Amino acid sequence: MKTTRRNFSRCLTAGLIASVLGISPPLLAQSAPDLIAAAQKEGKLSIYGVTDNEQANHLIREFRTQYPAIQIEYSNMSTTELYNRFISESAAGSSADVTWSSAMDLQVKLVNDGYAQPHKSAETAKLPDWANWKNEAFGTTYEPIGIVYNKRLVPAADVPQSHADFIKLLSTQPEKYKGKVTTYDPEKSGVGFMLVSQDKQVNGAGFGDLLKAFGSVQVRVQGSTGTMMERIASGENLIGYNLNAAYALTRAQKDPSIGIVLPKDYTLVISRVMFIAKNAKNPNAAKLWLDFVLSKKGQEIIANKADLYAIRPDVEGETTSNGLKKQLGDALRPVVIGTGLLTYLDQAKRLEFIKQWNNAVKAK
Amino acid sequence: MLQTLPRRVVVTLLALSVFFPLGLVIYQSVLSGPFFMKTASLSLESFAFIFDDPDFWSATKNTLIVAVGMSLIAIPLGAILAFIMVRTDLPGRRWLEIPIMIPIFVSPVVLGFGYVVSLGPVGFFSVWFESIFGSVPWNIYSLASIVVIAGLTHVPHVYLYSSSALRNLGSDVEEAARLSGASPFRVARDVSIPMVSPALLYVGVLVFFLGFEIFGLPLILGDPEGHLVLTTYLYKLTNKLGTPSYHLMAAVATCIIAVTFPLVLLQRALLKSAQRFVSMKGKSARQRPLALGGWKWVALAVISLWLFLSIFVPVAGVALRSVVSSWGTGVNILDVLTLDHFHAVFEEATMIRSIVNSILIGTFGGALAVGGYLLVGLATHRKPDGLSRFVDYIVLTPRAVPGLMAGLAVFWVFLFVPFLAPLRSTLFSVWFAYTIVWLAYGMRLIQSALMQVGPELEEAGRLVGASRARVSRDITVPLIRNGLLGAWLLIFMIFEREYSTGVYLLSPGTEVIGAQIVSLWASGAVDVVAALSLINMLLVGFGLALALRFGVKLHD
Repeated sequence: MKTTRRNFSRCLTAGLIASVLGISPPLLAQSAPDLIAAAQKEGKLSIYGVTDNEQANHLIREFRTQYPAIQIEYSNMSTTELYNRFISESAAGSSADVTWSSAMDLQVKLVNDGYAQPHKSAETAKLPDWANWKNEAFGTTYEPIGIVYNKRLVPAADVPQSHADFIKLLSTQPEKYKGKVTTYDPEKSGVGFMLVSQDKQVNGAGFGDLLKAFGSVQVRVQGSTGTMMERIASGENLIGYNLNAAYALTRAQKDPSIGIVLPKDYTLVISRVMFIAKNAKNPNAAKLWLDFVLSKKGQEIIANKADLYAIRPDVEGETTSNGLKKQLGDALRPVVIGTGLLTYLDQAKRLEFIKQWNNAVKAK
Repeated sequence: MLQTLPRRVVVTLLALSVFFPLGLVIYQSVLSGPFFMKTASLSLESFAFIFDDPDFWSATKNTLIVAVGMSLIAIPLGAILAFIMVRTDLPGRRWLEIPIMIPIFVSPVVLGFGYVVSLGPVGFFSVWFESIFGSVPWNIYSLASIVVIAGLTHVPHVYLYSSSALRNLGSDVEEAARLSGASPFRVARDVSIPMVSPALLYVGVLVFFLGFEIFGLPLILGDPEGHLVLTTYLYKLTNKLGTPSYHLMAAVATCIIAVTFPLVLLQRALLKSAQRFVSMKGKSARQRPLALGGWKWVALAVISLWLFLSIFVPVAGVALRSVVSSWGTGVNILDVLTLDHFHAVFEEATMIRSIVNSILIGTFGGALAVGGYLLVGLATHRKPDGLSRFVDYIVLTPRAVPGLMAGLAVFWVFLFVPFLAPLRSTLFSVWFAYTIVWLAYGMRLIQSALMQVGPELEEAGRLVGASRARVSRDITVPLIRNGLLGAWLLIFMIFEREYSTGVYLLSPGTEVIGAQIVSLWASGAVDVVAALSLINMLLVGFGLALALRFGVKLHD
């Protein structure tokens, strides 16, 4: 008790000084002291995430400097494996304390099925409304979806600046781009399906034209970002549609042949969804971690070191929601975290959509 | 040879290890949802769904084409290769032993990717070829290419089995044929190879099995033009309905089992009639290599072409990719050379761990697996009764389940069997999955070693009053020492490259290179994948060279 009170008063004093001086110290404006104490008592935290180890490690290292008493076990896996493991292990007792995945629909499904527990804090309050569902599912990043192209081989005049441009390019130069355009296979990639179903919602009338344009160039579909990016870089494909700009940016830093466009008419934005498992073994450490990821410090790491985009509106820089708003304004269309994402997890609706896709895209 | 009780224990353990995961898969296939959910009920809807899906039928057709096609390529080539390497005086034979093994220990995902980098539409070899001849006559993404590549890369499997059989033949018959004027090719075709037909039959069925199971190659090469095989179809089903559909995946796996199990029966029947050949082979100590004469150039040319196509081309692709930041049309390779990808591997703790774990699982795990296979082998050795026949059937069954599904089933076993649960996040679970999946392969190695022990030695032991266990310990096992070492080496290679099986068993601390490659692949770090694969190849190559140097023989 004693320590708690001392910590508390220390925070209070610091906070007071800070507010008097008009600055907000990032390290101190954090989780409640009793949460920290309880988390440190648990001393452990297990996370299942789809973010590469290398990127996640930036966050983990900083968290460990702040809370050295808490050991983190981070398991990196694909979105499907994460879902499989989480539900299987939950059925057997308990799974990871926290899951963190870009398959927004699967994460929402898990939360909807009662696998999550709520959490409310000063940090979660900073999130935009669409990125907080029931105080259970939280968006942690702001990753724009773009068009990626080969800079060596696609002439500047051809580079599409909007979805309309893209459709026009494909339908006016089908010979040049035949077999040279790539996108996700909605049957193989859950994220790919989610994106193209969002296109249908956002683009409305243009969506039919998009599918037709894909059909006219015999679009090459792939199951993963890696294979698409590799083929665009090599010139086997020239343009990739609906690629995560965060990944493309990482690659573009090493590889000068990768160019990225964020379409000016609308740019979809996805967010890595994090939730705390209902039967988490270390619920307090999980809350502390979630708060940390959403904190200013955590978000700065996401933006500047992990090559993802920060979602918190009060973080500045090019790779933040703020930076993107300056660049694209109202064109940004974040995928809302909520029951809307469950629509296409209904088997009949999903198969219907896939049929529509196949009919248009595979038409000769 | 084992006493009755230990023998029963071994067979029971084996049956449990095989049938429990397998039963889980079959049970899952007749449910409407995940078996561990309360909402799941008995239903045949999964079969109705896949039988109604045109993709399933095209995948089935393609799978049959691939399995038949690659068997037709791999079996004759492997047998000829074995004949040349074992029975003739081809110069440089010893030097060829390591490269021949490469396709066995390189993960097919990596091989497939290597082919894309070198022979793909903008591959460096294609670009070079096009600049000389104007166009490229091949399409790496066609079904035919998949068949040819699968066939060429499975030659080593056939080579291994047929070469160990060929080694046991006396050379007198071949000499007789050669003396009466037959060409070396004719000798191989009409004398040597027919005499090892039991081994060829066995490996023929095994290769056909592997044809049903190949995943990496069609995943990489089949995607762009949409050629599905059953395993990639199964993989596709994972996400087709949005949430992973275990029941559909299990239904596909069950269909694969339903097709392959009759093959096991067929193989047994064939082997029975082939036993007559075996009794003729005898054990002749005298073996003289057949002089090839002018034919040696033909032989060398055939082997070089095969080595070039199935090893040099893909490995060069991977090696190149690991040292460049970009490649393809309009890239000058010299401008993009970099060692960054290797730095990325060595800077990342999980990568280092995956390398260390892979070595552990290959060496210690490999030895343990050989020990397990040996126990099973001894349990059935010289005991041609019902129990042994039962074992013969079950060892081939796990091979019928695609690795991805087998891995998932093993994951469930470790999850839901209470006393196994603590072992799940240890390397033991990975080892267990590997050992079961490669059971057929390992058992064949052990059995062929056991076959060579003359029964009279064991009978002598028994006559002077030694127990069965004693005979095994003091006579049989010491006699097959070399065979065991060779098996260990092969299992080491297989375990190093295994990838899909370990995916679900990965947890912090149990990463292995194969599964790491799959996970990196998905997020796009193809460059790091290339570097990691190259490291893996060098590692295994080094291990192989070391073992051969210390006198371990791949076959005796």
